[in-house]
Amino acid sequence: MQEAVLPHKGLPPVVRMRDIVKMFGSFVAVRSAAIEIGRGEIHALVGENGAGKSTLMNILYGLLERTSGAIEVFGQDVHFSNPRQAIGYGIGMVHQHFKLAPSFTVAENIILGSEPLTTYQRIDRVRAERETRELSQRFGLNLDPRAIVGTLPVGLRQRVEILKALYRQAEILILDEPTAVLTPQETRELFATMRSLAEGGHSIIFITHKLREVIEVSDRISIMRHGEVVDTIDNDNVTAQQIAGHMVGRSVLLRVEKSVARPTTEVLLKVDGLTALGDRGERAVDDLSLEVRAGEIVGLAGVQGNGQDELVECIAGLRRPVEGNVAICGTGLGPKPSDNRDAGLAYIPADRGGVGLSLESSIWENMTIGHLPQFSRFGVFAIGKARDRAKQLIACFDVRGGEVEKPAKSLSGGNQQKVQLARELTRPAARLIIAEQPSQGVDIGAIESIHRTLVEMRDAGRGVFVVSADLDEIMSISDRVLVMYRGRIVANLLAAETDTEEVGRYMGGLDGEPFGPSAGDTGKGLADGA
Amino acid sequence: MAPESTAEPPRKSTLAAVLAPVVQPLVAILIATCVGGLLVLALGRNPFEVYGILISGSVVGVPNILVTLQMMTPLIFTGLAVAVSFRAGLWNIGVEGQMLVGALLSGIVGYAIHLPWFLHIPLAVLAGFVGGALWAAIPALLRVYLNVNELVVCLMLNPVALLVTGFFASHVLKAPGPTNKLPDIDPSAALPNFSIYSQVNAGLFLALACCIVLALVNARTIRGFEWKLMGLNPRFAYYGGVDVPRRAIGVMMLGGGIAGLAGAEQVLGQYRAFYDNFSPGYGFDGIAVAMLANFDPIGVILAAFLFGALNGGSAVLQMMTGLSKYLVQVLQFITVLVLAAQFSWNWLRRRPVAALAQEPERSAAPDLAHPSGRQA
Repeated sequence: MQEAVLPHKGLPPVVRMRDIVKMFGSFVAVRSAAIEIGRGEIHALVGENGAGKSTLMNILYGLLERTSGAIEVFGQDVHFSNPRQAIGYGIGMVHQHFKLAPSFTVAENIILGSEPLTTYQRIDRVRAERETRELSQRFGLNLDPRAIVGTLPVGLRQRVEILKALYRQAEILILDEPTAVLTPQETRELFATMRSLAEGGHSIIFITHKLREVIEVSDRISIMRHGEVVDTIDNDNVTAQQIAGHMVGRSVLLRVEKSVARPTTEVLLKVDGLTALGDRGERAVDDLSLEVRAGEIVGLAGVQGNGQDELVECIAGLRRPVEGNVAICGTGLGPKPSDNRDAGLAYIPADRGGVGLSLESSIWENMTIGHLPQFSRFGVFAIGKARDRAKQLIACFDVRGGEVEKPAKSLSGGNQQKVQLARELTRPAARLIIAEQPSQGVDIGAIESIHRTLVEMRDAGRGVFVVSADLDEIMSISDRVLVMYRGRIVANLLAAETDTEEVGRYMGGLDGEPFGPSAGDTGKGLADGA
Repeated sequence: MAPESTAEPPRKSTLAAVLAPVVQPLVAILIATCVGGLLVLALGRNPFEVYGILISGSVVGVPNILVTLQMMTPLIFTGLAVAVSFRAGLWNIGVEGQMLVGALLSGIVGYAIHLPWFLHIPLAVLAGFVGGALWAAIPALLRVYLNVNELVVCLMLNPVALLVTGFFASHVLKAPGPTNKLPDIDPSAALPNFSIYSQVNAGLFLALACCIVLALVNARTIRGFEWKLMGLNPRFAYYGGVDVPRRAIGVMMLGGGIAGLAGAEQVLGQYRAFYDNFSPGYGFDGIAVAMLANFDPIGVILAAFLFGALNGGSAVLQMMTGLSKYLVQVLQFITVLVLAAQFSWNWLRRRPVAALAQEPERSAAPDLAHPSGRQA
């Protein structure tokens, strides 16, 4: 499969990365990844969050140093320790979060760092504006050089970033999730720009996890999973389902020992007609309803960014819905997250460092929050008791390397996950367990023990709702599988009666729009939100 | 893997553990001392002689020590006020204004109400606390309900407090005579003095008591634990059941109240009346004291002692050598600068790893005191 035909045949690849390994401490972010970029091609790099896409590209751009491996750019062996060196080799990167000075003009931002100077060593503003204008005309990217960047819409700011790279003579452009912040119209314009740049001989690396966009714009597609580039394919008769299948993969065969579920009629989670807005004001969750009953594990599958995060945040009380109701064990949402916990919710968030844990705090402190009343005697904190309890939990949940006084950040991902589980599952009121990406960044041994715990909880008559981007995980642990696509549940399947192929099809969304009029969508169209 | 974790010694060497938190402040003081020494050298003086005078002028002999204690008292209050808020993640840099408002209320209660001393003193002190707390409530409420940055509001309210209290001292409640001040307080409201050498007064013991109480609250109570978690990660604390918005208002008002006690001590203990513009910037020095103390209440006592000694010694220095007493301020500023540099360095070093190590960039960063305020 590495012999895929390059669009500009006969030319050697402009970038060749081989056996790239990147470790953060003991965590392997990229393991022996290999990728080749041809001249004048648009090369999509796809994969779930955490697959290592951005890390790999940050290595190419010199933001991160590789642990081992080899990189060739235009046939030369290179080792960048900062972006300046990468820029010197004609590499430019546009980050997801723009790195622009909002109070400066377009021209000032573009020249920043490589300013044209007059004979008196002053910045030559006239030349800067002229060059900016010429550059934007040459590439068909209309921009007023004197406009203040802060006043421009997001799409135009992105143009400034692209022009900035082109001003530095970038031949290879890395775009990190460029469409994440764009409207559909802006996305269309960006794709036109990408195509014209590629025709002019620029190579473009397009990082994304939106499959429709990949099919729409790219020449070749590299798929990353668990830090590896698992496949590179030509964009030729590829379907979104095939790519989705590669992305979620079958590399790790997870086996969960469990009996047949015996759900009762008691509904522990009832979501009814829920609509919620995402951070950019889009309808991330769109009139969605679902139920989780006691004694069953319900898995929510879906390509990331289809509203799963917003749905879970609504249930946890961290985001306010616009419409609809959520009831936990029969109690409606309260104004504070603690109300939902009191109603019976245990939530294991994906964002371990942000919501689930305080990484700087010690393990016992992380295990104690949410249990504070138990350790309070007239407001005095029974620290000794809290520590003893943490010690027991560390043993009970097998937190490796866990010492009560150590900060949570000293633990591996899997053991951090166990700390969260220990804290959440030991609350006596907890009847509904929501586990969000429970195996993300977790080693296989810990995944097994986490899954076993969740099954035990189910067998003890609690309800479990697992949200995961890992289809294998969903298939192996769930009794019932829901598929979320564009803010809606498009499939409700019994795990025993379905397979990854079917779920994958719904995830890709092709035959998954029974509610919408666009059921005949061919997949070449844009994903234009809702 | 497993044997490694079991074979590990249970605790690092205790000396290192004890020293770890004081290393950064000590390094900052050391660097400031060296730079200050070079400055003195550049002025053509012997730095050892100058530092000798500074030390003997502040801590040698009972009168000098008493002056140092007098100087450190307001700094304990203001340093503690800043430390309490910062520990909970709230940037209360409005301590100067809170102190002034507290001082004004203490001054009013001190002269306008007539009571026996055992009622008058507590009431006047309480008035100082209430004044500071109410002034601090303005940024706190704006922060929690309207998500206005408390740092900016605090900073802007400082001159407002100066002008408002000045208006009272120069117009509304002005005492007869040329000075812009309120009438003198009743003797029954005065905090007792101990010596003719300085104006150190019972306020010092109140300050020390506040530090000890807050140290205990931080270390031993649920509230102190909640403040700490809020400061480290408000979103986590909020999800974990801490009523972050309410705690934020509470801790800001507590900080403001302690700042108000600084004002009460100045008015009731030192000046015996509210004077317009009496403060040489105790509220701002409080920020430096809190930083040097690493936001620890007991550390505040030590840091306030150092700054108080420098302030006390500076007058002696000026008398005996003719060097400007502002040399001392230079030393203080360099200390703060080094501390700030260390702080930023730690922050910068921690950040990029955290940002790059994991790809997922979840929804926008939480609001500090209002994590729920994210709806549309």
